[in-house]
Amino acid sequence: MEKKVSLKSIYVPSGDVVAREVQGEFIIIPVASGITEEEDEIFSLNETGKAVWERLDGGKTLQDVISGLCVEFEAAPEEIKEDVLGLSKELLKRRMLVEKDRS
Amino acid sequence: MKKTEAESYSERISLPEFSLWERMKEKRNLVSFDLEITARCNNNCRHCYINLPQEDKAAQQRELSAGQINKIADEAVSLGAFWCLISGGEPLLRKDFFEIYLGLKKRGLLVSVFTNAGLITDKHIRLFKSYPPRDIEVSVYGVTKETYERVSRKPGSFNHFIRGLNLLLDSGIRVRLKAMALRSNVGELPEIARFCRQKTKDYFRFDPFLHLRFDRDTRRNAEIKSERLSDQEITAIERADSQRLGVLRDRCDKLIMPQREHSSCGHLFHCGAGQGSFTVSYDGLFRLCSSLWQEDCIYDLKKGSLGEAWDDFVPRVRQRHSDNREFLEKCQNCPIINLCLWCPAHSHLESGRLDEPVDYFCKVAHSRKDMLA
Ligand SMILES: C[S@@+](CC[C@H](N)C(=O)[O-])C[C@H]1O[C@@H](n2cnc3c(N)ncnc32)[C@H](O)[C@@H]1O
Ligand code: SF4
Ligand code: SF4
Repeated sequence: MEKKVSLKSIYVPSGDVVAREVQGEFIIIPVASGITEEEDEIFSLNETGKAVWERLDGGKTLQDVISGLCVEFEAAPEEIKEDVLGLSKELLKRRMLVEKDRS
Repeated sequence: MKKTEAESYSERISLPEFSLWERMKEKRNLVSFDLEITARCNNNCRHCYINLPQEDKAAQQRELSAGQINKIADEAVSLGAFWCLISGGEPLLRKDFFEIYLGLKKRGLLVSVFTNAGLITDKHIRLFKSYPPRDIEVSVYGVTKETYERVSRKPGSFNHFIRGLNLLLDSGIRVRLKAMALRSNVGELPEIARFCRQKTKDYFRFDPFLHLRFDRDTRRNAEIKSERLSDQEITAIERADSQRLGVLRDRCDKLIMPQREHSSCGHLFHCGAGQGSFTVSYDGLFRLCSSLWQEDCIYDLKKGSLGEAWDDFVPRVRQRHSDNREFLEKCQNCPIINLCLWCPAHSHLESGRLDEPVDYFCKVAHSRKDMLA
């Protein structure tokens, strides 16, 4: 089932994954089962992914995250919004992010 | 397959393809570490380099606590470690195994476990199902009660092993099997190989190379020596295993090197010890590799920090030289050292010196060379 992503919600990294920077690469490692299809997989986030992830500190709504990124990055706000929504949707689907209230 | 929009921000990578492995190997980067969380064991294998009795209270008291292990793991993670192996003795003997295992997992480490499977319960299965290990490696000492218990010297251990192994296999947890080729089980090796290949898809490996004990106990070392196969027996087994022989033949040019590069230097360490990994004993002693027990090559983590061990101590150990002429003339220039069990650590376990050729190793290596010729 597709999860609906809301700009007003606060999303946080799930306790079932650990994010780490190793040798300059930003990776997300599943701790619990069922995050990846194969147990032998890890995720690597690109620069945008990392910038979003690091802002998901439990105090910001997705809208706050987008506003922050708009100040820092030069891309068009619409593009940033689309990026953040796209990434959040994927991470929620994979249970790497959870909505704060329900966490 | 078309990538979805969102997938452009993240990439799924399966571990064997992970490019960081390669990058991490290029220079001196910590990749992995081994924790021997206990030396005690429910078995008492004849060939074992480490085991102490299950009920050895003094050994138990010296074991690092889960908290001390967590601290080491924290430091290892901050140095970049990615993968941790829990071994022993028998790691499942520890009552706080769950706490230790989860502590490592929750720090974002990939965790492997070496076990004899005899103590596996449903509770372990639930733990491994919820928090998957990278793999569980189980040693197969025999596939009949008679052979298994001739090696393990514990009545009842064969049934426990079979029960534990079946629990693991039925649960779908990733299990790898391996065997030691020993005097006490050599007659059953073909059946052991068949059993292992039937139970898992992974390449099953066997190891006929026994090194001596870490505590250099003379009586137990004599037992290990009596479990060693002769050079001829070892090559006969390798020859009979077409898969293994194929791999050895394919790598022949790396295994036999007529001109070794470092022939004129006296450096002892040309291996990977302390380059990408380290080992910690049950009582907190840091080594560059598990067999390296020479007293000047050990760092006590209870009195110092992992950072200091890794950054300062290891490079100092790796600078060590030899002035033993016999060693310099024989092993240091040896074109078949990669077919040999010789290394400074194993040399020390045999002779008390880091730079002594070992007759038995030499004989085995030469027979292996003849086999590949
Ligand atoms: C010490 S055990 C610890 C884990 C577990 N108890 C087991 O038996 O798998 C780790 C591996 O080392 C092997 N081993 C034991 N003594 C050895 C020796 N003297 N030389 C080489 N390998 C040895 C064991 O057979 C086992 O596969
Ligand atoms: S089961 Fe493993 S640790 Fe125990 S005695 Fe055998 S080889 Fe040693
Ligand atoms: S023991 Fe013999 S075969 Fe082994 S490295 Fe030394 S000289 Fe070479």
